[in-house]
Amino acid sequence: MGDGGGYTTMDLLRSEPMQLAQLIIPIESAHCTVSYLGDLGLFQFKDLNAEKSPFQRTYAGQIKRCGEMARKLRFFREQMVKAGLLPSARSTINSNIDLDDLEVKLGELEAELLEINANNERLQRAYTELLEYKLVLQKAGEFFYSAQSIAAAQQKEFEVQQTGEGSIDSPLLLEQEMVTDPSKQVKLGFVSGLVPREKSMAFERIMFRATRGNVFLKQALVDDPVVDPVSGEKVEKNVFVIFFSGERAKIKILKICDAFGANRYPFTDDLGKQYQMITEVSGRLSELKTTIDAGLLHRSNLLRTIGYEYEQWNILVKKEKSIYTTLNMLSFDVTKKCLVAEGWCPVFASNQIQNALQQASFDSNSQVGAIFQVLQAKESPPTYFRTNKFTSAFQEIVDAYGVAKYQEANPGVYTIVTFPFLFAVMFGDWGHGICLLLATLYFILREKKFSSQKLGDIIEMTFGGRYVILMMAIFSIYTGLIYNEFFSVPFELFGPSAYGCRDHSCGDVTTMGLIKVHDTYPFGVDPTWHGTRSELPFLNSLKMKMSILLGVVQMNLGIILSYFNAKFFNDNLNIWYQFVPQMIFLNSLFGYLSLLIIVKWCTGSQADLYHVMIYMFLSPTDDLGENQLFSGQKFLQILLLFSALVAVPWMLFPKPFLLKKQYEERHQGQLYAMLHSTDDPLEEQLQHDSHGHEEFEFSEFFVHQLIHTIEFVLGAVSNTASYLRLWALSLAHSELSSVFYDKVLLLAWGYNNVIILVIGIIVFVFATIGVLLVMETLSAFLHALRLHWVEFQSKFYEGNGYKFSPFSFALVSEEDE
Amino acid sequence: MGFVVTTLIFAVVGVIASLLVRICCSRGPSTNLLHLTLVVTAVVCCWMMWAIVYLAQMKPLIVPILSEGE
Repeated sequence: MGDGGGYTTMDLLRSEPMQLAQLIIPIESAHCTVSYLGDLGLFQFKDLNAEKSPFQRTYAGQIKRCGEMARKLRFFREQMVKAGLLPSARSTINSNIDLDDLEVKLGELEAELLEINANNERLQRAYTELLEYKLVLQKAGEFFYSAQSIAAAQQKEFEVQQTGEGSIDSPLLLEQEMVTDPSKQVKLGFVSGLVPREKSMAFERIMFRATRGNVFLKQALVDDPVVDPVSGEKVEKNVFVIFFSGERAKIKILKICDAFGANRYPFTDDLGKQYQMITEVSGRLSELKTTIDAGLLHRSNLLRTIGYEYEQWNILVKKEKSIYTTLNMLSFDVTKKCLVAEGWCPVFASNQIQNALQQASFDSNSQVGAIFQVLQAKESPPTYFRTNKFTSAFQEIVDAYGVAKYQEANPGVYTIVTFPFLFAVMFGDWGHGICLLLATLYFILREKKFSSQKLGDIIEMTFGGRYVILMMAIFSIYTGLIYNEFFSVPFELFGPSAYGCRDHSCGDVTTMGLIKVHDTYPFGVDPTWHGTRSELPFLNSLKMKMSILLGVVQMNLGIILSYFNAKFFNDNLNIWYQFVPQMIFLNSLFGYLSLLIIVKWCTGSQADLYHVMIYMFLSPTDDLGENQLFSGQKFLQILLLFSALVAVPWMLFPKPFLLKKQYEERHQGQLYAMLHSTDDPLEEQLQHDSHGHEEFEFSEFFVHQLIHTIEFVLGAVSNTASYLRLWALSLAHSELSSVFYDKVLLLAWGYNNVIILVIGIIVFVFATIGVLLVMETLSAFLHALRLHWVEFQSKFYEGNGYKFSPFSFALVSEEDE
Repeated sequence: MGFVVTTLIFAVVGVIASLLVRICCSRGPSTNLLHLTLVVTAVVCCWMMWAIVYLAQMKPLIVPILSEGE
């Protein structure tokens, strides 16, 4: 398969060759086989029962059982979290438990736990009720005691009054009887209990209104929050006693109490009985307390024993569930004795899969072994890159745009270097680079610790991209050395500056400037430039041109990769009618611009490159005059312009016509020789893909090619301009860091005051970390991402494949519940 | 040090780095090819960056003009 026989293929450049395989598994060893394949994790099962609903499938019952067990495990987990016990990390005790045994065991444990919980809840409720009752007894007792003493005092007073006034104004006998005879008094009832404090005001008001003021309500604050028996939460409450008269008032009051969630407790006004009740309640409370403690101890013991094996059970259940889900994708053989599986696997894994099949049939004492055979695939295979921990993050950057078509050139290979490089062009400062390097080294050195624990979103993302950040940091240090910036401060690391005064007096350095007296500074930007008036014009010109040059090189790399793609898929049309004219078009315009830039630098010419480029189109035959950089330039420009103009129809017209011709030839061939079939499945598949059995739609192909051509021609201009973001971001970064250095650190230093200096340093550190290291890193990252996704990958990458997702236990156990 | 000498140094560094990668982590021909590609790409990128900055300063059209304050 493929065309990589002639030379060694590069890792990662092409996705692994895949094959569609059929497994015929005897029913008795099916479970074991699937389990072993899950351990291997290199086989992607195809769903052969896609038309069946989940309930119609063979193993629906088992899946339901697993779901039930998972539910029980979740329940245990909740209980453990509530009790503050966390399941111990992967226990190593590897007792081979059967799924059936586990099911029974889980059921028993669940029943036991539920019972304990119910008991506990009941006891707890009784306990809190008793507690409240005790409070009521205490507080209400106080009311009554104080009320009685006041009443006694009043009574005395009243009696004194009565004896004094009785002679003059003695009331009628009947009235007198009513007052003095206690048996004829209106019997006052009362209700006592607790009401939540926040509701107490409303409670009182409603009570008053409902009974039209015919109640007496007394409340007392309870100092500590009380546990509510119903909700089990701690609430601040008031003890209340309501006195009322009449049965109807009582009914109203009871209703209002219920509505306010006020718990009522019986109470007597007899002091002796009260005392007796309090002792009784206290006794029961301590009894209940010991019972509850014993219950809790039992429960936590039970949970602890569950906790030891929780992880193991959890993994087992997840595995079993995934096995049955996979088994459901298999279809029955005609004899109903075998299961048939189809799926994709990498070619290199054939042996491993066959070994697993043999092992499984041996271990399950099956009479017949499973059969592995390779099928011919009609559809395109999945894309599978064997990445390691270093390359996977870069591959993810590419996959986030689109998964590569099967075996097409993978931009991930070059992304590993060019992505951090373009990032660093925008982030060039070796001080910041070192900070980034230290941060990422922290993650890399503690890799094992971090990978085993759960992290927050942002940390997780940073940790996942640690090797990307490592490369970014290393390249930033390099480009920082080139830009000669260490927190925006230049150093003369590589020899003396090339610039010096014009004469001994050095008088005109601020007007005419320095002149070059030594050789060019050997590595990077001359340190003299920093802080001069002409620094920005110089750096702008340099960085702008650098962006164009880097962009043209990267776009050329993209187009060259399209050549390797075309060659790999034996597609001569794409080489001659796409790759060649694209190369000519891009390089005759922007390749030429790059050439002009370099020539201008080498010769020190004053020529205006904008003028040259613009008049190359407007009036190519005009004399260049003082803008001529080399002899024969006019002729070269006319030639390049002509070839660029030719390249456009070259891209546009021939390909659709040739495709049509090819189709017609093949069609005729099919008429004459139906038996002819290509041995190469890839070629067959290509035919299948590009033509199918449908009629050749010329207009469709032509429009497609038209769009493609327009996109490329316009894209060549806009993409080149897009690379100027390298200049813009690098400028922003260096300006920001020099502002922070000059306006914060140096300014604070100038005051000669320790406090101001400390404040200045703190502000500088936070600005550097917050703005330069975090925000600038993000923005440079995003811009580098765009340059790769759009400007680079649009030249060759189709990205319409789908990812290989094998059935693997490693992935199953990672899934979150 | 002129342009050619430093370019040669880059080339030598590139060769040494490729050899080191080849010797230190040799894991079959296809992985070695990947490593070689990565090293070459990295060295080319670094060289290009250096060369651009060097060339731009060879025949300066603008010269540093010191600020008034200094």
